[in-house]
Amino acid sequence: MTSVTFDSVILDMKLPDVVRKVDQRVITQNAVASLDYNPIHVNPKWAKEVNLLGKGTTIAHGMCTFAFMTSVVTDWCYAGGGFITRLESKFIHPVRPGDTITCSGVVSEIHPRKKGQSFVVIELGAENQTGTKVAVAKARVRLPE
Amino acid sequence: MAEEVHIEDFIKTEKQKAFDHDFFKGAESYEKWEDVDMDAMYDGRKTFEVKVEDIRAFSEGILDDNPLFNDEAAAKDGPFGGLIAHPIFITPIAFWLTEEGPGNWIRTPGAINPGQIIEYYEQIRPGDVIHGKTGFYDKWLKRGKRYLTYVTEYYRQDDVMVAKGWGTLILPTSTGEDTHKF
Repeated sequence: MTSVTFDSVILDMKLPDVVRKVDQRVITQNAVASLDYNPIHVNPKWAKEVNLLGKGTTIAHGMCTFAFMTSVVTDWCYAGGGFITRLESKFIHPVRPGDTITCSGVVSEIHPRKKGQSFVVIELGAENQTGTKVAVAKARVRLPE
Repeated sequence: MAEEVHIEDFIKTEKQKAFDHDFFKGAESYEKWEDVDMDAMYDGRKTFEVKVEDIRAFSEGILDDNPLFNDEAAAKDGPFGGLIAHPIFITPIAFWLTEEGPGNWIRTPGAINPGQIIEYYEQIRPGDVIHGKTGFYDKWLKRGKRYLTYVTEYYRQDDVMVAKGWGTLILPTSTGEDTHKF
């Protein structure tokens, strides 16, 4: 794979998508990996009892969706020495067991600066199999010259 | 009927074995939206010693097989000179450091994640020993929901800040085990 450099990037450039299938195994494994055992993620019985978010199912961690979106960027540029310096996210719609999440990214800003400090901004999005947007994010990425 | 999935089937690292995964236990003692101290900044004594198994287990948990986050030998030849943690690895660090004490409201059963902000200054690597300084940043009411944000600075063993996070959750109004809902 060709290394991504600051000079090789153009506005509106699309990054390769990342697609992830989510089921309760994936959610529970993520809970263990992230040490986040909120019952909304790992306790289907409790989620049903409280009718969580009106549907009574567990939901995936927002941070898991955030990780999927972040992987769009790390897959794209980390092998060449790219480095994320800031991430921000907004979780819009719950991700539930059975969803397939497609994460995408586009170069929305280019910031030329002194050598070693130039960066780009990637607008990220995640949607489920029905085309419903589940999350958005923004990544600031320093790229090698 | 959906297959039952057991937490225990995935536990393998030392920290995962040591960490209490019952978030209901002691929930009454978690910091509450109403009671957070807006002035205090807490310098946590607990540390997260980053091990290869922690980095690998997290990458597996987010379905990311990038060699930089999984393969020590391949990562050594890469641009960072060794294995590094995926950026969202900050999550298990946050939960490990706040298992007890300030910031433990992030364990509140029923809390919902509306979104996060994290800044990164250095890569996190095996051998790093991370500790955190955390404190109140903001709380607000919006459309009937209660939001709370703490800001946490993550330092490694040489006191270099590796990351900073503005962690926000929507907290439920009840703390009883039966009624963690909005």
